[in-house]
Amino acid sequence: MTIIPFPARSPRRYGDRVVTQPMAFEDEQDEAVRALAARLVSDDESALEEIYDRWSALVHTYALRALHDPHDAEDVTQQVFVAAWRSRHTLTPSPAALPAWLLGIARHKISDARAARARDADRTAAVVSLPGAHDGSDQSVDDDVAERLVVRQAVDELPDPRRTIMLLAFWEERSHAEIAETVGLPLGTVKSHVRRGLIKLHQQLEGVRHESR
Amino acid sequence: MSHADPDQLAGLALDPTDGPADVRDHAATCPECAGMVAALTGVRRRTGAEALVAPPARVRARVLADVRTGDQPEPVALPVHDEQPTRRAVPLWLAAVAAALALLAGVGLGRWDTTGTEAPEAVPPPDAGTVVAAATLTALDSDADRGRASAVQSEDTFTIRVSATELGDEPGVREVWLINVDGVRMVSIGLLAAGNDGEFAVPMDLIDKGYRIVDISIEPDDGDPTHSGVSLARGELA
Repeated sequence: MTIIPFPARSPRRYGDRVVTQPMAFEDEQDEAVRALAARLVSDDESALEEIYDRWSALVHTYALRALHDPHDAEDVTQQVFVAAWRSRHTLTPSPAALPAWLLGIARHKISDARAARARDADRTAAVVSLPGAHDGSDQSVDDDVAERLVVRQAVDELPDPRRTIMLLAFWEERSHAEIAETVGLPLGTVKSHVRRGLIKLHQQLEGVRHESR
Repeated sequence: MSHADPDQLAGLALDPTDGPADVRDHAATCPECAGMVAALTGVRRRTGAEALVAPPARVRARVLADVRTGDQPEPVALPVHDEQPTRRAVPLWLAAVAAALALLAGVGLGRWDTTGTEAPEAVPPPDAGTVVAAATLTALDSDADRGRASAVQSEDTFTIRVSATELGDEPGVREVWLINVDGVRMVSIGLLAAGNDGEFAVPMDLIDKGYRIVDISIEPDDGDPTHSGVSLARGELA
């Protein structure tokens, strides 16, 4: 019997290389998003599919938090991407433009959905004389929700180990020393990942804010 | 000093007591660096959101359906290679199927009567089935022959048999579809796994509903389960 050995895999090494590598990765990522937006503008339907696959969770979660109704959130998500396709020629490709643009469309669709609800509530109120059930929506609350979701997506898109380190640091509130022990990296490397990760999140959020203006 | 390194400002945003004294002093007096620390602190406050929730898969399908129907005025997904007007009357072959079924049912009942509660001692050898409809497959851009397809009724199964020729050697798998005569709906019935021949069991009511156009497509390995839009052969069962 011959034993065929598995190809030897060298363990992944983290260290200086990883600290410089993500920067190149980020540039590539930005370039990929810009290219994706450009394809959409030039009527490439497969670009819409890629855009949907990457940002539908962001749009859907935003609608879900704003409307508190799974059915309405689905409808809004559908409307946003159909509207995105129909108005694709208005998009100016830039790295942060896509999520900002989609969230902008979502904001309008959410307010349409609320208006429709209010109309229904008014109609019901007129019939059974209940006070109109306006859901006290506040745009600044919505915007804060949207920003938190943008940050969440930005973290999820970080390359590992930075993503894991960020989730441990900011979502589980673990200390740098605990994280270093958990992921098996030196304390200094963990600190560096957390700081650079925070800067990256800031850049993403600023990009979306800028494009939303 | 010049502006502080962003990394160190991020450190200050995470822990105001962190970092060298000169950096802290600078950030305390320089509006730009102080602004950066404040912005990063703001980002830190926006962490903690629960994971994003993907919408159900049906939403994606609806978006793509809306986009496709909205952009092309005709709802026809594929050009239907069929010059004949759609027939409204029950086609002859359907009548033949019905007759064959009635005959089978009659035979079955007769057997049941004579054997009583005893199990039938022998199952008749499986026959080759009755061809109740057939189609000549042709290329779409010409009338070049691409083989035959037939609908076969045997015992209690209904099968589409495909025997194609000259499908070419483009890379990809060959998928067999039944397209409805309405030119809009279609259903995949399987793959030509090896060579150009295949048999595909289908529910009978599919044919009744008008899925009578046999279509063979070439599908790239792109993860998209819909018809690629490239048909190698087509023909209507009649």
